[in-house]
Amino acid sequence: MQLVFDNLPFLLKGAGYTLLLTIVSMLFGLIIGLVVAIARLKGNPPIRWIARFYVSIIRGTPLLVQIVIIYYGLVDYGVTLGSLTAAYIALSINAGAYLSETFRGAILSVPKGQLEAAYSTGMTPWQAMRRIVLPQAMRIAIPPMGNTFIGMLKETSLVSVITVSELLRQAQLLIAQYYQYMPFYLGIGVMYWIMSTGLAFILERFERRLAKAY
Amino acid sequence: MIKRKFTMVTITALAVFGLVLSACGGKSDSGTTAANELEQIKKAGVIKVGTMGTYPPYTFLNDKKEVDGFDPDIAKEIAKRLGVTAEFTTQDFSGLIPSLQAEKFDIVISQVTITDERKKQIDFTDSYITNNVKIIVNTKNTDITKLEDFKGKTIGVGLGTNDETYLRTEVLPKVGDFTIKTYDDVITSLKDLDAGRIDATINNLYALKPIVDENGFQIKAVGEPIKSDMAGVALRKDNAELRDAMNKALADMKADGTYDTLFQKWFNETPAK
Repeated sequence: MQLVFDNLPFLLKGAGYTLLLTIVSMLFGLIIGLVVAIARLKGNPPIRWIARFYVSIIRGTPLLVQIVIIYYGLVDYGVTLGSLTAAYIALSINAGAYLSETFRGAILSVPKGQLEAAYSTGMTPWQAMRRIVLPQAMRIAIPPMGNTFIGMLKETSLVSVITVSELLRQAQLLIAQYYQYMPFYLGIGVMYWIMSTGLAFILERFERRLAKAY
Repeated sequence: MIKRKFTMVTITALAVFGLVLSACGGKSDSGTTAANELEQIKKAGVIKVGTMGTYPPYTFLNDKKEVDGFDPDIAKEIAKRLGVTAEFTTQDFSGLIPSLQAEKFDIVISQVTITDERKKQIDFTDSYITNNVKIIVNTKNTDITKLEDFKGKTIGVGLGTNDETYLRTEVLPKVGDFTIKTYDDVITSLKDLDAGRIDATINNLYALKPIVDENGFQIKAVGEPIKSDMAGVALRKDNAELRDAMNKALADMKADGTYDTLFQKWFNETPAK
């Protein structure tokens, strides 16, 4: 265990990257997810179809495959991304697909009467969506969103394959140095756990704040 | 009351967790095997071999998807001389030595360079090959010809390899700061070199030739060899019988010309005496 404490700064640097990757990809994932969810609900048939196709592909293939394709595969087509950029893109696209389903379900769960009431006050469909439906849907979406959030935190470990020095990679580097497996893996296990607990706590606070409005 | 109970449970859980953690700090001491391993291997009729499988021509999967290359051939030859068959498992290089120690296989043959650092953890046979390591750059690159030119650049290297240790502990302090990117196999590091995501890597030419031929990467070796590495078969410590038997097999191989034949087969040249 002494080994882990000696190398804590090195590991913390990795944990920083892990958090950064999680936050950035969740942020973009939220935007993608919202757009895709609305596209699937309100879009015309071809747009709907494209959105469905996207969700199907992303949810139907391993994230590791997506990461490797974006980083190594695109080079053959003349697109050379930096490893961090590639990681952001892959994780955002992935989170977006999962979140779009969360939002779609949440939007659908808002009673139809709400929308009709909004229309009757003379709101445009867009206004009704923004002012009436989305705020209510947001509350419903928080728990499953938290799931995706925390899932994403752990999924970031996969980008170690494209040379991003996040938490897992830093641990692997140390293992390669000391040939000691267990302390490092247990150490980063605890670090991941602390981080996801922290995230869960933030989400809980967020949920409570949203509930206050009613 | 409920609350207090909950706190107790939490404290207990944490205490248990802490115990588990602290137990891992000590070095596990399972080095003393009951019967000696050579006998166990002979009894089983199989020697379990770990190798990378992504490092042609040393170790790779051939068209039939079997583990093939110079290293597996050496391992098969050793196995034959011990009167057993070799059974291969492929894994990322960085996991090979830990897996060996976890007794997932009996030996590792994967261009494992013999270093003092590693000797503290594992044991080696005599070396079965010496490789010259050179600096490899993109063909378009003109400003890197020697180690000193690494300053401020991004250098790729295999994770857990001897080259990585060498870059970190010897080149970095000498040359000044540069970024090290680590890869799980040689192919991806060369792909990134070809794509221009790293400025240079270090490796030996035998290893590169087949990959470059296959993929048409635009890369070249520059300058003088920066070091030469001797690779041996890795095994767990305190297995003198197994080590000696393998050393004898290697020595016999070299004496009766089998080694030269294998070397010729994979590298199209005779081994430097």
